[in-house]
Amino acid sequence: MTNKITAITISAIATIAFTACGTNKHEEVKTYKMSAAEVFQASCIKCHGANGEGNPEKKTPKISDKTIGELEQDIYDVKNGGSNQSSGTTHTVMEHNMQKLIEKGYDYDTKVMATYMYETFHK
Amino acid sequence: MKKNEILEEILKEVDKHPEIMSRREALKFLSVSPLAASLLAGTTVGTSAISASTVKGKIVIVGGGLAGMSTAARLNNTITNADITVIEPDPLSVSYQPGQTLVAGGIWDKSEIVYKRDDKLPSGVKLIKGSVTAFDPDNNKITVDSKEEISYDQLIIATGLTLNYGAIKGLSGEITSSTTDNAAVKEKVGVNGVHSIFFQDGAAATWDGIQELIAQAKAHTGEKKLQAVFTHPDTPIKCGGAPKKIMYLTHARLEEAGVRDKVELTFYANGKDMFGIPEYHEAILEQFKTRGFKWNYAHNLTGMDTDAKIATFNHHWTEKGAWDEDLEEFGVILKSENVNVAYDFIHITPPMKAHDVVGKSKIGSNAGWVPVQKESLQHVKYKNVWCLGDVAAVPMGKTGGSVRKQYKVLIDNMIASMEGKTTLPAAYGGYTVCPLITGIGTVMLAEFDWSQKPTPSFPLDPTKERWIWWLLKVYALKPMTAIGMLSGRA
Ligand SMILES: Cc1cc2nc3c(=O)[nH]c(=O)nc-3n(C[C@H](O)[C@H](O)[C@H](O)COP(=O)(O)OP(=O)(O)OC[C@H]3O[C@@H](n4cnc5c(N)ncnc54)[C@H](O)[C@@H]3O)c2cc1C
Ligand code: HEC
Repeated sequence: MTNKITAITISAIATIAFTACGTNKHEEVKTYKMSAAEVFQASCIKCHGANGEGNPEKKTPKISDKTIGELEQDIYDVKNGGSNQSSGTTHTVMEHNMQKLIEKGYDYDTKVMATYMYETFHK
Repeated sequence: MKKNEILEEILKEVDKHPEIMSRREALKFLSVSPLAASLLAGTTVGTSAISASTVKGKIVIVGGGLAGMSTAARLNNTITNADITVIEPDPLSVSYQPGQTLVAGGIWDKSEIVYKRDDKLPSGVKLIKGSVTAFDPDNNKITVDSKEEISYDQLIIATGLTLNYGAIKGLSGEITSSTTDNAAVKEKVGVNGVHSIFFQDGAAATWDGIQELIAQAKAHTGEKKLQAVFTHPDTPIKCGGAPKKIMYLTHARLEEAGVRDKVELTFYANGKDMFGIPEYHEAILEQFKTRGFKWNYAHNLTGMDTDAKIATFNHHWTEKGAWDEDLEEFGVILKSENVNVAYDFIHITPPMKAHDVVGKSKIGSNAGWVPVQKESLQHVKYKNVWCLGDVAAVPMGKTGGSVRKQYKVLIDNMIASMEGKTTLPAAYGGYTVCPLITGIGTVMLAEFDWSQKPTPSFPLDPTKERWIWWLLKVYALKPMTAIGMLSGRA
């Protein structure tokens, strides 16, 4: 009897597990008012420079030598206030900036922005 | 232990306590958690889902801990006549690190979490007992122990991370694997009220420390309470919940001994919340309040005076700065000060980083971790280099639970790449699980991914502390890891 219940439950569990893995329900499709290029040209460029060279006067680091993957990580981090429980972020200033910029409508997709920046810096 | 045995083990515990929950209810809970569900399902379905591949090429895996050894096993199951080499110096590399929390809480004995590397080496996989000391990805070569050069077609980096105790002034030493080379650290950590569960010996010493604290509390008189301090650093860490779990367990042991009122428990974290996900943050905050814990955010441990028993924190905050033309908004100014805190007991979560030999090599990055495309786990520069586990620069990913998702993704993508395919088929979604032990007998099973939302999509509140998750944590996850994952099957 016990074994039977167990067997049935396991197959039920298996079904749930597989449907849960197959679909990614959390991926919300978000639309943005401006393209990443427009956001970059209207805002980011002012501090980071047209080629990501940075600006020592504004304590903005050079980001032109980063790969797309690294840029994506950094932007993700900045947008999410760090990505570890209770560790915080080393980007306190930029986190503040990003919050303000998003409030002003300068929002964008992380991956698209990383790609755009990389391609712009390497033209 | 086989799948039914794991389940039976849990159900046997359930049967002992019909007043808490029935067997039926237990099964219902187990089927709604993605972790529990896939865990139980995964062990039944086994390898049948893996289709054999005949790709050729020499695969070298650096690091034979949980991630490296599981990947070796699964690759070995997947590729016919695979040519796989694992490089691992630590004879106890596959020991069960999540169990260190339970050892520190006096629930398990240290011997219950020790597993030997050589016992877990899949048959046919070559092992080099040494450390990689140099990476030359432009020429597809690595060096072992500064002498032996090894070439590869595909390289998998799974070196875990370094516990950087020495970065805290007053402490010294670094630990590169949970069970090795810890003499320098142990001069100050594991004695005198200074503890840390992040390495195996440290975990065992923490249990002694908790018992000492209890004895001290029993003898304690006077108004001022004994001070127990728990820290969380400014770097990413493995198992983000561990700094809190040990606090919950210390609380439980003090309460059990009837001396909780003699000790004040305070959490000092560098960050500004308990958890990046609002739902879990709120839940933890409530748990803290219920238990009478105190907490201070934006405090990073920077120094220890172990003779005077004083911990120094860098406390930081921002103030409104000048108007910034470029931002069209006021900027912020960073401010900080040192804060000295006297302790009777302190649990230190050390800053963590990639091993310098990895992080500062060509496959590393300025940030230290190995930069990979976070969905495919392929290196951002070198297409035949892959990375997973604690050393990968993947947001939130430093748990065994994420390794369980990552290794399948990595293998599917690497094989596709070896077959000459240009699009990689599998994507990691950032899934992480943190079974947050909130007491002896309760766990909140925090499951989440990069969507920054709790992942269970079932009509059950994931923020509740439950006994059944405790059973899952204590009875199922170890066999699941030690037997299921390390043989590439779960
Ligand atoms: C206290 C504690 C509690 C935890 N709790 C949980 C939990 O509840 N749930 C959960 O999912 N996870 C938990 N974890 C995290 C989990 O243990 C890790 O995420 C997991 O072990 C990562 O696997 P890994 O293979 O990347 O690293 P490891 O398992 O640490 O293995 C890395 C290996 O690489 C080797 N290595 C290092 N450098 C070199 C080199 N140069 N050459 C060759 N080999 C090298 C090391 O010797 C080591 O064996 C916990 C960890 C700790 C410490
Ligand atoms: C007002 C100036 C300013 C603007 C506008 C600005 N930044 Fe920044 N940014 C900075 C400063 C200063 C830093 C470094 C300090 C920090 O990280 O907190 C920084 C850091 C960063 C970093 C982290 C770099 C690293 O090395 O890790 C990223 C990524 C970034 N900015 C992206 C952007 C993007 C994308 C935009 C446009 C939406 C933008 N920034 C607009 C000032 C600015």
